[in-house]
Amino acid sequence: MPETYILGIESSCDETAAAVVRSGEQVVSNVVFSQIATHQPYGGVVPELASREHLRAIVPVVRKALADANQTFPSIDALAVTQGPGLAGALLVSISYAKALAFALDKPLIAVNHLEGHIHAVLLEERQKGNRQLSFPVLALVVSGGHTHLYLAMQGECGWSYQNIGHTRDDAAGEAFDKVAKLLALGYPGGPMIEKLSAHGDPTAVSFPPAQLKHRDRNDRENGQDSDQPRFDFSYSGIKTAVLRYVETHGLRDSIEARRRAARAIAQPTAADYLSHCDRKTLDLVASFQHAVVGDLVGKTLAAARASNAASLFVTGGVAANNQLRQRFERDSAMEGLSVFFPSRPLSTDNAAMIAAAAYPKFVAQDFAPMNFSAEAGLALK
Amino acid sequence: MNSRYTDLAMDTREFITHSPEETIALGWTLVELLTPPKIVLLRGDLGAGKTTLVKGIAAGFRAAAEDDVTSPTFTLVHEYRGPAANLYHIDLYRVDTPRQLETLGLDDLISENSVLLIEWGEKFPRFVRERDLEIVLERVSENERRIRLISDRG
Repeated sequence: MPETYILGIESSCDETAAAVVRSGEQVVSNVVFSQIATHQPYGGVVPELASREHLRAIVPVVRKALADANQTFPSIDALAVTQGPGLAGALLVSISYAKALAFALDKPLIAVNHLEGHIHAVLLEERQKGNRQLSFPVLALVVSGGHTHLYLAMQGECGWSYQNIGHTRDDAAGEAFDKVAKLLALGYPGGPMIEKLSAHGDPTAVSFPPAQLKHRDRNDRENGQDSDQPRFDFSYSGIKTAVLRYVETHGLRDSIEARRRAARAIAQPTAADYLSHCDRKTLDLVASFQHAVVGDLVGKTLAAARASNAASLFVTGGVAANNQLRQRFERDSAMEGLSVFFPSRPLSTDNAAMIAAAAYPKFVAQDFAPMNFSAEAGLALK
Repeated sequence: MNSRYTDLAMDTREFITHSPEETIALGWTLVELLTPPKIVLLRGDLGAGKTTLVKGIAAGFRAAAEDDVTSPTFTLVHEYRGPAANLYHIDLYRVDTPRQLETLGLDDLISENSVLLIEWGEKFPRFVRERDLEIVLERVSENERRIRLISDRG
């Protein structure tokens, strides 16, 4: 097959992104416009602002991705766009734009699941490094602000397929980081700040019991669904409540309020600013929280890997940028003789290169999107 | 699960649950109160059990398995379609102005067979006016939750 250039476009949450990827194995350009600064004052992504910022950014971002790749609209072979999951209004911006482009240019359009994109971020970079030998089965942990999912990934004749063997039953892991950061007045997004502050605390100071997940629920029992199929579900609501309880029982309220006021007085508070307003107890709490979440993610994922005889492990998504998580995964999988792969940091968080990469096998299989497809906020990966 | 009826200006029913499982079970029993169309305000602090209660409600409506009901914080609206009702679990924490609310298109969700379960809906007068039921969750102790159902009399 000749070289195929796919233009990927992604706007499922708070990054407007476009990229050109060659034949699913080489990033030719990768442009990401982050809206974090827009949403920071609100402590989370504000959907209406996100859609508006996507509208403003999408044309220049796509133009830059083409220019960086020395490509033009007529020279690319296909367009790929994220169909979901994500914020419906945000998804619609790039879907509408991609549809219009595909129609005007008479090029095929490929709809990609965002979660599949994260998995293909790993595959893309491994191929780029020349590593084409991948051992199956592949187990992938997609972990971010909105997702905590375990998939077995299979490569078949007509592209890739996925089996979900675990997901969060309440909060995503990244969401727990954000909520704890908000509770402790450590700004938004929570993950990078908690990671930086954790280096200054004792991760063993506070012990958080691991989430105990009970029984499959009664719907499944009544329907007699796959009761023998082991599940590897996650839960991060309990640890968030445990942090709240610790704050209440250890008199941290006043220092949190003082920190909130101090942070408000600074235009762009940095980790150093927050650090100077954190006492030992808070730093220990933060480090212990991260330690517990990382331990839970690594422990459950490796248990799932053992049960499914996984030969390769992918860890991807925004939370995969966390260093502690990477180190624990590397150490613990090495002990089990399991190869673990992460995307580089720029491809861990949301980007369009992963969308263009995931679209390539669909391009080969001529699995194109009908012109009437639309955004699906809760799109499942199969 | 204990229940007691109090006779205030509004009709209030109070329950104490002692575990997440009891909170889910309470959600199942709420289904008969929630025949669509309904607008329900869900109130409670972080960790009060709002998502846990919605697990029971969604399962009771056969709209979703308990395990598949997760926090709507990230995407703001979670939709669960059942045979008798379409459930929408909505988090308005980051939505501040009526204009922002408008862009969420909640009006499009309100229909004959919809039940809207709205967190932070009390920020908007229209939901305070239009709500059929208010569910207030409070953490009493590690596992105990006080859950009050408040509706207008009549």
